[in-house]
Amino acid sequence: MAERRKYGKKFCKYTEMKVDFIDYKNVDLLKISMSERGKIMPRRLTGNSKNSQEMVEKAIKRARHMALVPYIVNTQNVTDAAYVK
Amino acid sequence: MTRIKHYETMFILKPTLTEEETKAQIDLVKATIEKNGGEIVSCDDMGTKQLAYEIEKHKRGYYFVIYFKCQTDGIFEIERNYRINENIIRFIFIKYESKKEVVAWTKMSDEAAKKAN
Repeated sequence: MAERRKYGKKFCKYTEMKVDFIDYKNVDLLKISMSERGKIMPRRLTGNSKNSQEMVEKAIKRARHMALVPYIVNTQNVTDAAYVK
Repeated sequence: MTRIKHYETMFILKPTLTEEETKAQIDLVKATIEKNGGEIVSCDDMGTKQLAYEIEKHKRGYYFVIYFKCQTDGIFEIERNYRINENIIRFIFIKYESKKEVVAWTKMSDEAAKKAN
């Protein structure tokens, strides 16, 4: 290969952990596939398997509805707090 | 013909309720499920938690999960009762149908039962 790989080899973390069903109440599992802003990360960046990506998408959407994880992380509050200091 | 299926429901109660009122609300929901042909297997009391975002100007909420088996028709009636109830600010019903999902359901309900004891 002419170009060296920039990042390590990607692998599915859920397969590694042997999770066969991703529950929407288990927030720690969902956080693996979410960005800091609360977006669902694409498969090409996380290396999730197709099967677990589909499961985690559904679980995140359910968790968002039940206010377990945020829809968006608003930086407005963060910057405001910094400004006050 | 309607079949009995595995369900899970989670709801968020208002944080402004007193302890007795919360208990009364939970009992009311359980009674509604049982009245509509549901069979409660186990419950999970998650307690008061911080919400990820404000719902109806509430920043905290009381989470409660019920695992139950019910006929498909019963769900509509339970959902109607949820919508009438002003103390419930958010709810969800999840159906576990395929073999893999039912296995996960049994595992989760067992864990919840163990936690309750």
